[in-house]
Amino acid sequence: MPIIETQDLRKVFRSLVRRPGVGGTLRTLFSREYEDKVAVEGVTMALEAGELVGYIGPNGAGKSTTIKMLTGILVPTSGVVRVDGLVPYEQRRRNARNIGVVFGQRSQLYWDLPLIESFELLRAIYGIPPTRYRANLDHFTETLDMGPFLRTPVRQLSLGQRMRGDFAAAMLHDPRIVFLDEPTIGLDVVAKEAIREFIARVNRERGTTFILTTHDLADVERLCRRIVLIDRGTLVYDGEIDALRDRYGTHRTLVVTLCEPTPVETLTVEGAEVESHAGDVWRLRFDRRTVSAEVVIRRVADRYRVSDLSIEEPELESIIRRIYLEGYSEAMAPA
Amino acid sequence: MEHVRRSPGELLAPYVAFAAKAFSREATYRMEVFTNVGSLVVRLYLMKSVWTALYAQNAAPAGVSLHAVLTYTAIALLMSLVLELDGTRQIRDRIREGSIATDLMKPISLPLYFFSDGVGMTLLHALLIVPALIVSLLIVHIDVPPPHVLAAFALSFLLGYLVNFLLNFLMNCVAFWTLETFAVQLMVRWMSDLLGGQVVPLIFFPGVFQKIVLALPFAAIYSTPLLIYVGTIPPSGYLAAWGAQVGWFIVFALLSAVIWHAAQRRVVVQGG
Repeated sequence: MPIIETQDLRKVFRSLVRRPGVGGTLRTLFSREYEDKVAVEGVTMALEAGELVGYIGPNGAGKSTTIKMLTGILVPTSGVVRVDGLVPYEQRRRNARNIGVVFGQRSQLYWDLPLIESFELLRAIYGIPPTRYRANLDHFTETLDMGPFLRTPVRQLSLGQRMRGDFAAAMLHDPRIVFLDEPTIGLDVVAKEAIREFIARVNRERGTTFILTTHDLADVERLCRRIVLIDRGTLVYDGEIDALRDRYGTHRTLVVTLCEPTPVETLTVEGAEVESHAGDVWRLRFDRRTVSAEVVIRRVADRYRVSDLSIEEPELESIIRRIYLEGYSEAMAPA
Repeated sequence: MEHVRRSPGELLAPYVAFAAKAFSREATYRMEVFTNVGSLVVRLYLMKSVWTALYAQNAAPAGVSLHAVLTYTAIALLMSLVLELDGTRQIRDRIREGSIATDLMKPISLPLYFFSDGVGMTLLHALLIVPALIVSLLIVHIDVPPPHVLAAFALSFLLGYLVNFLLNFLMNCVAFWTLETFAVQLMVRWMSDLLGGQVVPLIFFPGVFQKIVLALPFAAIYSTPLLIYVGTIPPSGYLAAWGAQVGWFIVFALLSAVIWHAAQRRVVVQGG
């Protein structure tokens, strides 16, 4: 049985119509005109226990709304949602025992208190048995290297330290499912890697199910095999990242450095187009289904003197960007 | 699927912990604690000057001596040290910044959380009453009634505290619909200070108006305990006075339950 299941999940927000201008503002005060905004439009998905899934989409796609319905703080307009056998919005508090949440932009630690006191409070909130609390605290203190700042007030922690604290806080009660919302936002590369390593490790060692919402696709590439892509409230892709890359990553980029004594005005190569150039470095984009890399390289080498070249695989980011910009169906069509 | 029955002790543990945390959190704002006492002293001095000047024009209106009024005023200001704390203001702040979402993702009752947090705050600020009382004694002489009156006052104060908490809670819950509660709160705060008898004893209000204000819920917060303290409400009237406070408490509690239920269904989290 899937641990998380939604069927035709919909959420429509109703808001007062606001009119521009002073007259409009006055009319808004008394108006009862509403407009409906569809945030999530019929999302159906199923996650198995122990999966680590990237849930991605552009701003306003409906990611947060979905997560809020899964955590039980928003009531769906229609559709079915089940999390570990519970209906979250009907059993919010019981559901809360099964889940953990980490928000990169919003700490759930107590600002004025030393980190350890937030943990103590969580122990009381979740009624964590003392032995398990002790074991988890020791384990997380070690793996997240929190020893040096356990007694520091949260407001004095660096962002990286605070995030580590937030992760420990979300997992002290051994949740079966953890929702991560932009967990690495604003972190430096080292801190990012530490967090990613921690997520991978908890997923591997404890079998915790993770749903990772992020705009940093490096997180997703590093951690997830499966992604669920949502756009304008609708689910547009649900499957393995590799499959997405194979199907939609149809373009490659050849980066060439020329060693011409005089600079070239334009570089023309049959089957490839100039994407950009800076000085003697040219970026040529080609469709790997119509022309092979070998042919493009030969055509370049035949006409120009080349000092260096390399081929770039499309990054997940550029594939996703294309889907955001062109829509899913057009991105599917041959370019 | 885990379905653990929890003992009452385990169920209460988080709320005791919340109160303890609020207590130590408030203690970190030392400056605020001292300015509160300072502000109280200034207000007491001003009130003393005003009442003394008024009494010079008209001795003992409504049969209340200047000395009784000053006692009333001083006790009212000391009560305000804890009654002016609004532990539920967090509701509004947390709705505006969106952190109400993470609160709701915890297996706790949020109204009880805000209540225990408020109690923790109150307990710390209640400690201030001692130094504030000592300083107040330098400005005015305060009558101390016999123990049974003090006990009646304490019970009434406690009931007033609960009514005040629920009034604040209801006020802050408005933010679930409007996100902003400043205007509503300012209005209710002024009304409750004036109509609750914090500034002027309600027995100074004329005729019918006095009957109306005494029947309003605001009277249950300041006026009832204070009138018990100064003896305007005699021991024979205690039961009726407490009864009215309990009545308002029940009305507000029911109203809060309804509002909270509706609010939970319409959480609109800001941003994200």
